[in-house]
Amino acid sequence: MGGLDVRMRDVHCWHGRTAAVSEVDLEIAAGERVALTGTNGSGKTTLMRAVLGLHRHFSGTVLVGGRSAGTATEWAERRRACAWIPQKPAAGRFPLLGSELLASSGAAEEAADAADRLGVASLARHPLHTLSGGQLQRMYLARAIGSIAGGAEVLIADEPTAALDFDGQDEAADILTELPVTLIVVTHDRALAGRCDRVLEMAAGRVREVS
Amino acid sequence: MNIASQDLGTLLQLMPVQRAALALLLAAVGLPVIGVIIVGLDIMPVRFAMMHVALLGIAVGLLTGLDPMLCALVACALAGAGVAPLARTPDGLSGAMGLLMSLAIAAALLVLAVSGVNASGAFALLWGSILSVGTADLVVLGALAVVVPGLFWWRRRDIGLLLYDRELAQCSGVPVRALTLALLVLVAVAVAGAIKLTGALLVDALTLLPALAARRLGNSLRSIVLWAIGIGVLVNLTGFLLALSLDWPPGPVLVLTAGAVVLAVHLIPERRLSSWRAPASPSLPSSH
Repeated sequence: MGGLDVRMRDVHCWHGRTAAVSEVDLEIAAGERVALTGTNGSGKTTLMRAVLGLHRHFSGTVLVGGRSAGTATEWAERRRACAWIPQKPAAGRFPLLGSELLASSGAAEEAADAADRLGVASLARHPLHTLSGGQLQRMYLARAIGSIAGGAEVLIADEPTAALDFDGQDEAADILTELPVTLIVVTHDRALAGRCDRVLEMAAGRVREVS
Repeated sequence: MNIASQDLGTLLQLMPVQRAALALLLAAVGLPVIGVIIVGLDIMPVRFAMMHVALLGIAVGLLTGLDPMLCALVACALAGAGVAPLARTPDGLSGAMGLLMSLAIAAALLVLAVSGVNASGAFALLWGSILSVGTADLVVLGALAVVVPGLFWWRRRDIGLLLYDRELAQCSGVPVRALTLALLVLVAVAVAGAIKLTGALLVDALTLLPALAARRLGNSLRSIVLWAIGIGVLVNLTGFLLALSLDWPPGPVLVLTAGAVVLAVHLIPERRLSSWRAPASPSLPSSH
């Protein structure tokens, strides 16, 4: 099993003056599959975005594969190491074609193959804003598979099955949990959480182990 | 009608008219791409902001004895670079352009007042006319016509991702900060240069309006840019010929022609534009 370990020490995140995440200490072993659950607004997405450097108002240490990130180069490296499925795929100001999204993974061919398996290959020529929520989520999953083929060893997936139908949720859960990477998945989907090695719960910005 | 076409033929043999036509053609290749970037970065007020920043530059130039237009271009480049960090938040840039506009005009007026330079003289330097372009101006427009589409083509993947979503671009290895900075400086300098060459009003017809029409017609950044250039060339040539044959000032006629194209494009029903697009798929529910 591939993957990198993820370690967090005393991580705090803020939105302005409001603390969104407090005192998070977390050890995730390489190749482990972890579900992060919790009520809306408990800080899950903020914590994941802090790992990627998209939420910069945080303190504490986050190590991925033993490496911290501070400079622009280190953050770029972190984002290469961590594939990402965003919670709310942007409804961009400008159109982006499905194929351009897949190519942005860094491994266009593998991402296109994945899109084919997920049944969205024919949408590659369409702009993303014309796709439904579920189709878009499949596209992002295909992109993540491309990123992994391109060298990413951690997958951070933020509610990757929220917009999918029941069959789609099963299929996505299969694919996500079989990828040869460390998986951190934010989810409200019990079936997906149940297939992970560990389930963590966030409440009011703090993380606790559930199982 | 016959007399009019004869007049048009005579007019077209005049040197300034030929230069103006060439200038418009060159401008139609480079500037609509700048317009696409302006629309994509959501910095529509950039033209007003750059007019005022350029005025500040001219004021500083007149005060210090340096070349006023060079000072104007440098001031615009610096202003473009200065607002780049504000691109971090989605609304940062459009707000910044408004702020920049106010600050620049205040600073320009202050410099003009303190230095005792005639304000209308400084303004006049900024007011170009398409019928008075010189060889140097043509060279600048020619350079823009090569550099802007060239840069765009070279970095089209990165620019496409950046204009779609900054965070997705960041996570796809796009050097977001450097690229935003480069685009803003390019936009600022191109807009300021174009104001000097063609006049402030005409800049909109050359940059923004083709981009606005193209934004509706194209379904990817590439097709939007191609549409914008195509519309730019078409509008500039028809508008210019129309202005000549009616003996009207070219600036307003070109802006009205371009505006008419934008309106016409927006009147095309959406289903005609999108009939070939993805069929709606109601089977997949969206939870967002």
